[in-house]
Amino acid sequence: MQLNTLGTPLILFLILFFFGGTFLLSLTIGRKRENADNYMTAGNEVGFGISAASMTATWIWAASLYASATSGYTYGISGPIHYGLWGALMILFIYPFGRRIRSIAPNAHTLAEILHARHGRSSQLILAGSNLLGSLLSLTSNFIAGGALISMLSPVSFSAGILMIGTGVLLYTLWSGVRASILTDFIQVCAMLGAVVIIVPAVFFAAGGPEIFSAGAVNLTASQQSFFSSDAFFNQGAPYIAAVLAYAIGNQTIAQRLFAVREDKIRQTFVTATIGYGATVIGVGILGVLALYLGVEPMDGDTNNLIPQLASMYLGPILLCVFFVMVIGSLASTADSDLAAMSSIMMTDIYGRNIAMNGNASPRLLLLVGRITMIAATVAALFFASSKFNILELLVLVGAIWGALVFPVIASFYWDKVTNRAFSISVIAALAAFFPVRFGWIALEGATAFVTDFLAVVGVGVIAGLMIFGFLGRTGGIAAGLIAALAVLPFGIGFLHQYPVLTASLLAYAVSMILCVALSWTGRERFDFARIGAETGNFDNTTSTT
Amino acid sequence: MSPTFLTIYVLIFPAIVAVVLFFLLNAFWKEWRKARKAGKSII
Repeated sequence: MQLNTLGTPLILFLILFFFGGTFLLSLTIGRKRENADNYMTAGNEVGFGISAASMTATWIWAASLYASATSGYTYGISGPIHYGLWGALMILFIYPFGRRIRSIAPNAHTLAEILHARHGRSSQLILAGSNLLGSLLSLTSNFIAGGALISMLSPVSFSAGILMIGTGVLLYTLWSGVRASILTDFIQVCAMLGAVVIIVPAVFFAAGGPEIFSAGAVNLTASQQSFFSSDAFFNQGAPYIAAVLAYAIGNQTIAQRLFAVREDKIRQTFVTATIGYGATVIGVGILGVLALYLGVEPMDGDTNNLIPQLASMYLGPILLCVFFVMVIGSLASTADSDLAAMSSIMMTDIYGRNIAMNGNASPRLLLLVGRITMIAATVAALFFASSKFNILELLVLVGAIWGALVFPVIASFYWDKVTNRAFSISVIAALAAFFPVRFGWIALEGATAFVTDFLAVVGVGVIAGLMIFGFLGRTGGIAAGLIAALAVLPFGIGFLHQYPVLTASLLAYAVSMILCVALSWTGRERFDFARIGAETGNFDNTTSTT
Repeated sequence: MSPTFLTIYVLIFPAIVAVVLFFLLNAFWKEWRKARKAGKSII
């Protein structure tokens, strides 16, 4: 079937329309004299509508749309569920931790800043460093997705495409920081969600409607036709459950929105973002299932091409433009959030709390650090994007690395006995256990396989325990962890090591939990959580001027 | 799996997205009007 494309003038017009409109919108909140704290937290008073839209837009990025479709194409009808549902539920599971974080540190700017107040410099820098790395990779990945889309739908080259995307995003985020990011997210999410409402049914009916399922069933295996495919769960769902909890803790973009939203609107915001993210990503992922039923082969063997390919096969020029805006909206909303997140980390965790000691940070210099960070991050991401690294693989790796941080970070917000030593040693030891298994440096057989299987079972318990702990407290969390671990134990031993990616992630959770608890349990130190609120105050007490 | 069920599976998610979009637009509209009345910026 012939692929429809958009010519260079139309692509340039759409990019100019999208980024020009976004830039003009950001001008409406521009300030002659910006307040450094508002640049990072938008004044902690953002309402439900914008916050929920921003949380949804930030969590949905181009790679998640592509990966969900790939999951649908690879694992069949349950594939998009195993991508989108778990990602959505993780937003919900992070919500109780978000409320706790806001209650102990109402004026904080970053999670790492709270760790600085809680433990000191080494814990703060471990988290800040991993946040920076994650955001840089996410930014790069979004540039790559944009460049690839532009080069597929038009004669414009990949390099020119990433340059246009990078410049466009930087243009509207640079001056007003997270306030611009959050406000423009609203417009972008409207474009994205509106496009999903139109595009998914349009492709479905243009491709043949319900008839597809009768005629194309022969293209699917029995596992691909099942909603309860174990193949889909163990290869897609389970590693994702392990990674996404870590993403929400390790990703400053989510934390930044948590600090921006009005405290009484946190629950509404998280619940709406959960539903919005889940429905959007699963809905777009179903395009991959349709491709499977239709017998479509991904262009150049790359499943990331599936969605643009289906769009260009079945959509006319107008709907193809709508589709283009949907993908550009998804990547721009995440890219601007990454820029705002990185600038906040550099402003707060590097300059504000470490270089300018004793609360002497200059607001003007803070803003300068933030803006220089955005420019440097854009340049670095453009460089990495032009090298076409396999960013998604790197990002999955960073997500797994964050797994080592989840338990110590959450425990530090609730348990007054966790020390800086326990935090740092448990994270480093968890990483030391993670890498050899993840990269196959040790063979998982014999006694080693038994030990890793056992620890992986403990890791399952840790994840289940953390999820329930947020809602039901310590007793519920411990009970859920024990039940989950005992339920998995009989088949997990002798089985889980066959999935090294999953095992490595679970090991990180287990080792960090065991060491963090063991090293903190006998300690006599008791931390006063009231100190966090006092030590994470504002940098800038001046009012913004318009 | 029947074609009817699978058709519903395909179309239910865009429908949920439409509902979420309605809620977001409605909330934004209310916040924008409130901010305008108070003479403040919405963000």
